Amino acid sequence: MLAQLVVSGIAQGALYALVALAMTVVYRATTVINFGQGDFVMAGAFAVYVLVVLAGAPFVVSAVLALALLFGIGWAIYAGLIRPIVAGPHLALAMMAVAVGYALRGVARVVWGREVLPFPRVLPQGSFTVGPVILSASDLVVAGGVIVAVAVLGLVFYATPLGKTAQAIFQSERGAALIGINVAAFQGAMWGVAAAMGALGGILIAPITLLYPDLAASILIRGFAAMTLGGFGSFPGAAIGGVMLGVSELLVGAYVSSTLIDITAYLVIIGVLLIRPSGLFGRPIAVRV
Amino acid sequence: MFDTLNRPGSRLLSLTDVSVAFGGLAALSDVSLTVAAGEVVAVIGPNGAGKTTLFNAVTGLVPLARGRIDLGDQRIDGLYPHEISEKGVRRTFQNGGLFGHLTVIENVLAGLHSRIAANQLSIILGLPSARRAEREAVARARELLAMLGIERLADELASNISGGQQRMVEIVRAIATNPPLLLLDEPAVGLAPPVRQELGAIIRRLTKSQGLAVLLIEHAIELVMDVSDRIVVLNYGQKIADAAPAEVRSDKAVLEAYLGHA
Amino acid sequence: MIDAREADAALNRRTARHPSGGIFWLVPAVLLLLPPLLNDYTQYIVNLALVYVLVGVGFNVVIGNLGQLAFANAAFFGLGAYATGILLHHYHAPLLLSIVAGAIVGSLAGALVSLPALRGIRSFYLAIITLAFGELMRWVYVNAEAWTLGSMGLHVPRPALFGWVLSTEKHKFYLFLGIVTLLVAATANLLRSRIGRGFMAIRDNELAAAAMGIPTARYMVLAFAWSGFVVGTGGALYAILVRQVSPDAFTLLELILHFGIVIVGGLTRIAGSILGAVALTMAPELLRDLPGYEELLIACLMILILLFLPGGLVTLFDRVTPLFRQRYHRV
Repeated sequence: MLAQLVVSGIAQGALYALVALAMTVVYRATTVINFGQGDFVMAGAFAVYVLVVLAGAPFVVSAVLALALLFGIGWAIYAGLIRPIVAGPHLALAMMAVAVGYALRGVARVVWGREVLPFPRVLPQGSFTVGPVILSASDLVVAGGVIVAVAVLGLVFYATPLGKTAQAIFQSERGAALIGINVAAFQGAMWGVAAAMGALGGILIAPITLLYPDLAASILIRGFAAMTLGGFGSFPGAAIGGVMLGVSELLVGAYVSSTLIDITAYLVIIGVLLIRPSGLFGRPIAVRV
Repeated sequence: MFDTLNRPGSRLLSLTDVSVAFGGLAALSDVSLTVAAGEVVAVIGPNGAGKTTLFNAVTGLVPLARGRIDLGDQRIDGLYPHEISEKGVRRTFQNGGLFGHLTVIENVLAGLHSRIAANQLSIILGLPSARRAEREAVARARELLAMLGIERLADELASNISGGQQRMVEIVRAIATNPPLLLLDEPAVGLAPPVRQELGAIIRRLTKSQGLAVLLIEHAIELVMDVSDRIVVLNYGQKIADAAPAEVRSDKAVLEAYLGHA
Repeated sequence: MIDAREADAALNRRTARHPSGGIFWLVPAVLLLLPPLLNDYTQYIVNLALVYVLVGVGFNVVIGNLGQLAFANAAFFGLGAYATGILLHHYHAPLLLSIVAGAIVGSLAGALVSLPALRGIRSFYLAIITLAFGELMRWVYVNAEAWTLGSMGLHVPRPALFGWVLSTEKHKFYLFLGIVTLLVAATANLLRSRIGRGFMAIRDNELAAAAMGIPTARYMVLAFAWSGFVVGTGGALYAILVRQVSPDAFTLLELILHFGIVIVGGLTRIAGSILGAVALTMAPELLRDLPGYEELLIACLMILILLFLPGGLVTLFDRVTPLFRQRYHRV
């Protein structure tokens, strides 16, 4: 039973890790926390829905198109809406991110209406049994998708020239600019990557979950919880935090009470920020006078 | 309120063997110094010598690793910053200590905060006693601005006035409650020479007429020589000189500290 | 094109001689003349706008004047509404007592939410923890069924003030107008005092504020508690107006309406909150039957304001008249 919970929790947590990683990319590249990340996830799911169901395109093609579309949207949002005010008060940045997320949600809802949309079955069904544990195909797809994405990004980040550029900018924006790196373009690309990562999450869960625009909020909070737990700004932290959150939710649900599953993320956020604000791997964030 | 502290010649501020450390790095080591009422003491030294740390220690922003700080006969190290401020220690800041989104007069009123006799309830209810205290404070604030000749700036937004004017407003704000001790953190930075002279004249006027004691961090040597009764020299967190300007000027250790750094 | 700073300075010189205090009391006086002219639905909208005036004015104290990114406003609103709703529904408590209870619960929540800020949590991190608190409260509304009746929501019986039943929107209007006027006046008093300046000093430069003798910790709690008090009262009035209190009313969608009110109207300024409340109250009502357009409208307005008019709509009035100028001291 415990093993089952842990394994399922890891599959669930993979998704949270993806959201948290995307938010960490944005945070490291531009020091902004994207309050609209949940809406990128929904936008990705929605884009895939429109392409598959309304335009009849094959799933994989739709997925790729959705990723490209969200990449573009992410870059455009950074360049047009975030960058102009990035030197201003944090409140304005937070509000802008919130507003952008809501605009995306509004667009989706205008087309979506009030209903919950069913997605056609495009992924393999069935499940596998490994020892005492049952793995569903969709769990594997989600976890697998996340692992592949993270591996690719990690490889690019640590082993390619582009990745070296990224590392330079993460360490010192001004220093990178001084040696001729086009920081603004890079930052736009990072927002694009984060949006695409969000879209990937949406694409992965679209076939298996009932979707509705408000799912964005719950995804966002789980992303926050994962980042908080792992430590803001830390990539390994985001990944580990996400997985730990997924497992914790299922453990809490099974051993304490199922009504608490929803609030595990909130309690994690409140608890970690009050007790150890830097999380597992992050840097200190509190200010004392 | 501050009467006993203002007796000329009385020892106002004393630091005894003060040490401050930041994670293993000694920012101040066994620094002792005193400032008497009516005295202007300048603290100079190369960058990183510990001057601003000294100010932060006196105002309670950093804890002491060792030593003690007394104001008059009261120990002040370990108190909260706003408590130390209430006991009569006021300061200006190196980089814009003004409240940028408030007007000049509102900044001065913030300096008068502890003198406005109005409690929460009377303020919320808009009682006459609160309004009266407020009007008195506004009148006093205007007087203070007029004293330094900047009354016409009263309703300007603090972030909209020039650097020199901002410096003036910060000083007005800091002396608003007639504190016995004033800490000035590089007040002359970015000011043109004539304005620096004016600043020096103001400092001299305040100390002579009101028995104000001033501890001054400054790099502008002419201002320091002009205004100080004593100069304390810090280097690598330690005090290497503490004497009248003329003596410090020819002190070998001081020259080495300054010339020894490229 | 007039340079904004020059316009500011010129305005300041003019207003030094023309205090705008009298204008404030003119507004409710004029509003008193409205009811005979309006039908019931429009009166309902006006009442709703009054509720959101409290929401905006209260929110602004923490987010504009104190300058902290505390996003728990929907929680203060909801807790105030539930406190009042519970007292009226289960205990048939007196109306004014129920409203006061909503205000007090709101202010206690405010003080609670100030704790992370006191511990040094700032900026985005404070935003996240306060958002989590808000969502946690929603879970409480759903699960504390004995009191809140869960997701079905709480029905609020017809309000009666000392035996006089407030059966129409017009009746509620007089009660709301009185309460809102008092609280807005009290907030203005608070902001135009050493306490209000203290809040803004903490916002602009916390270290310097402490150096002036301003008790930063105490004032932070006070600002949060006051904000909770005002917004909680808004929640209480909301419960009485809508007569139904359910968890769905206090989601993040509600919160973005609150954001919209303070950002679009004008941060830190009471006139801004009022303007924002009036402007944006229309939106949910008019667009209720068109899903998605409400979010789009509020979001686009916010984006435009943030990019092009960061001071909010109220600054448009500033170019023309000194009436809405906010001064933080009494002349």
